[in-house]
Amino acid sequence: MSASGDVKIVPTACLHDCGGRCPLRVYVKEGIVIHIEGEERYRACLRGRSLRQRLYHSDRLKYPLKRVGARGEGKFERISWDAALDEIALELKKVKEEYGNSAIFYSASGSSAILHNRRAGYRLLNMFGGCTTAYGNVSNEASIFASISSYGTMWTGNTRDDLINSRLIIMWGWNPAETIWDTGTSFHLIQAKEAGIKIVCVDPRYTESAAAFASQWIPIFPGADAAMLIAMAYVIIKEEWVDQKFLDTYTVGFNRFKAYVMGAEDGIPKTPSWAEPITGVSATMIERLAKEYALKKPAALVATWSPGRSGYGEQFHRAAIALATMTGNVGIHGGNAAGWEWAYPSTPSVGGLPVGKNPVMEGTAPHKNSLPHPNAPNASNARVHNTKVWDAMLAGKRGGYPADIKMAYFMGGNPITQLADTRRGINALRRLEFVAVHEQFMTSTAKFADILLPVNTNLEKEDMGVPWLGAPYYVYANKAVDSLWESKSDLEICTLLAPRMGIENYNDKTDEEWLRQIVEDSKDIPDFEAFRRKGIHIVDLAEPWVSFKEQIENLEKNPFPTPSGKIEIYSQMLEDLNNPEIPPIPKYIPTWEGRDDPLAQTYPLQLISSHPKRRVHSIFDNISWLKDIEPQALTINSVDARARGIVNGDLVKVFNERGKMVIATKVSERIMPGVVHIHEGGSFEPDEKGVDRGGCPNIFLKSRHSPGGAFCTNTALVQVEKL
Amino acid sequence: MQISFYFDQSRCICCHTCNIACKDWHNIQDVKVNWRRITTIEEGVFPNISVASLSLSCCHCEEPACASFCPVGAITKGQENGVILVDTDTCLGKDHCEVCLQACPYDVPQFGAEENSKMQKCNLCLDRTAEGKNPACVDACPVRALDAGPMEDLKAKYGDTKDGIGFSYDTALRPSILIKPRKAEKEGENKDFI
Repeated sequence: MSASGDVKIVPTACLHDCGGRCPLRVYVKEGIVIHIEGEERYRACLRGRSLRQRLYHSDRLKYPLKRVGARGEGKFERISWDAALDEIALELKKVKEEYGNSAIFYSASGSSAILHNRRAGYRLLNMFGGCTTAYGNVSNEASIFASISSYGTMWTGNTRDDLINSRLIIMWGWNPAETIWDTGTSFHLIQAKEAGIKIVCVDPRYTESAAAFASQWIPIFPGADAAMLIAMAYVIIKEEWVDQKFLDTYTVGFNRFKAYVMGAEDGIPKTPSWAEPITGVSATMIERLAKEYALKKPAALVATWSPGRSGYGEQFHRAAIALATMTGNVGIHGGNAAGWEWAYPSTPSVGGLPVGKNPVMEGTAPHKNSLPHPNAPNASNARVHNTKVWDAMLAGKRGGYPADIKMAYFMGGNPITQLADTRRGINALRRLEFVAVHEQFMTSTAKFADILLPVNTNLEKEDMGVPWLGAPYYVYANKAVDSLWESKSDLEICTLLAPRMGIENYNDKTDEEWLRQIVEDSKDIPDFEAFRRKGIHIVDLAEPWVSFKEQIENLEKNPFPTPSGKIEIYSQMLEDLNNPEIPPIPKYIPTWEGRDDPLAQTYPLQLISSHPKRRVHSIFDNISWLKDIEPQALTINSVDARARGIVNGDLVKVFNERGKMVIATKVSERIMPGVVHIHEGGSFEPDEKGVDRGGCPNIFLKSRHSPGGAFCTNTALVQVEKL
Repeated sequence: MQISFYFDQSRCICCHTCNIACKDWHNIQDVKVNWRRITTIEEGVFPNISVASLSLSCCHCEEPACASFCPVGAITKGQENGVILVDTDTCLGKDHCEVCLQACPYDVPQFGAEENSKMQKCNLCLDRTAEGKNPACVDACPVRALDAGPMEDLKAKYGDTKDGIGFSYDTALRPSILIKPRKAEKEGENKDFI
């Protein structure tokens, strides 16, 4: 901490669950935050710099609240902390005694802090006998599935300073200008562009990243990405541009994939002409990109997560990985393995608050379609897929779910706007016996609480953070100011709850003691005091980090962590799942609610959603500095708008079988005809008829996940009408 | 000497961080008041489109129209540094005047929502530059698209580049800004495929 006059500068960080993890310098005068600046190298974005408005927002939850109206109505009265904690403990004990621990549903999100937030509640409930949780990463389960089944690991990425070594960068759905994807990524892409490296963007939208970095934009229909990649594979095979030596040495099963691609398997050669009507991309363009990718080596195909958030999204990632291997772009500088993208192992280097084991999951079998691989995410069938949380609450064991859920404990996260099929969510929460919520603001989910507890922001507590995707640094978040009003941290709240629940030894340390221990255990941060003083520890890498370099240099000594020890283009593990929807080689499988679904006669527009530059999911939505930057709107191409008599700014009705919304339009050339877009994280604000006025796109999503677990935020058909 | 801004439009990712950093440093809570404004210029029809963004604050013109038209002399240009400042005590306020806003071709003058609010705008973070620091926007830009310093130094560093997409250099006012333009992607371009 440094001080100048009566102003002290506190090194802290922005720990929200976004693609960055940014160090911040907070100016504090007489206990009040007066400015927030970034750090020179890893520069914070507009969100982190707005944390002051978030900290002092008049709508912060200030005191514990108890519901007085109907659940969801949003009417509360102030109660004491003692009364609030007593009631939560009482309800937890009641539900546990009457129905067992699996009747408690726990979910937490909203922060990527190491100490606070999600770990605090999970530790508490695990010590209490466990709880039911959700599986299926909402952001990127398809990429996890493909990376584990192909490479045996999620550590497939390179640090961003390696982009400069590429000759071609393909941003497939990648939009780091808005989603950050590791702090500093945009600057590395600018440097790549200025070095003359060709950058191509494949995306249904002409994003800020397409505008700033790419010299070529290839618009593609949502859900069709695998078809284009497979047609590129066709071109590369046909023209004999395949890196056969790489395939022979490092991969298994290419011939099986080749048989499918060339048509030997099913009689359909997957030519660019085959892909053209599926993708909306001309055969010529597919051929040109295939040639470019095959011959401009090294080339980085960044197969990001949004295309995978579709029905059969796993196939997109599997196909991208196949392409990266066919061209020998794995494990080399300037290449990219097209997997999940974790690079430097900063995430596993720090543990975090220990959460223990969840007894509800102990001894359970894996769920159907989970990967039998040690690096695969926890596969217990005692968990409920994130798309099915609401359905599980409504249908319970009789509906085939692992538990009869009676209460929900949400530690932030706002699942009403962030999970699928909001209407079902509301019905589900209304039917529960008890809902407890920790929050900072009255979110769409907080309104459904019976007891709502005010949580402090990350400027009011001590914590640390790790970059999302393996940038080589760590941030320490010093506490800048004392907690405002009566707010407390999740860990503090759980510490107070524990004795009321009959739990001993939940927390015997101060926050600082925890962090000191976590840092000491990490082995990668040499000096706790220096780390805390500077607020950042940067690992000096001699050269950019490239995943699988050791495998490529010496496969015998360093096999891939797969059953075969090689990259599995064909996967026996997938074959053994015996599910035609999860084929052992990458295939294009048309999704439900795609353009060819008969439902498209009624709902002809494909709705996609993406992360806005001004929010982290639903967080920051209420920040006045940010609100006007990009008002929540439906983006629609002028062709689709004209056909409906819509002009820019018009209010329209958006609807399908699952939801109705009234929202302003943004008529734009920056989106494909046939596709409409709403930023995710808009609040759910139903009017008296249940029509959403807040712009929450997830009301339109089906409670159906992809067989490999993808949460399908980009698979929904809707219709739009002028109001 | 003339302290000036440099803006590299070819780098700008339209993230608005510069504006938020400005608002934070100068503690501007009014959402409609933007000392630095980011506009997006979109041209063409799908799929042949080009998009550029422009981040602009006060250009601290060499011949500032705002100052010459201000009826009460509230706007002055610094002799030492060329920075244009507003004396809010003298300014007549938006309910009585706004001549500066009409005079400025770049829509720089800003007025708050309160009654008879006085003109406000970028002061090139004189408090920061006095300490040898960059303006808040410059230090904030994630892609290093902004710079500030004496005009001669900027010209030596970046060349004498004046026009950008959405910005035309006014030869009478001589705005003290260098802009490296984004090249417009033309229809049928992208011929650099092998």
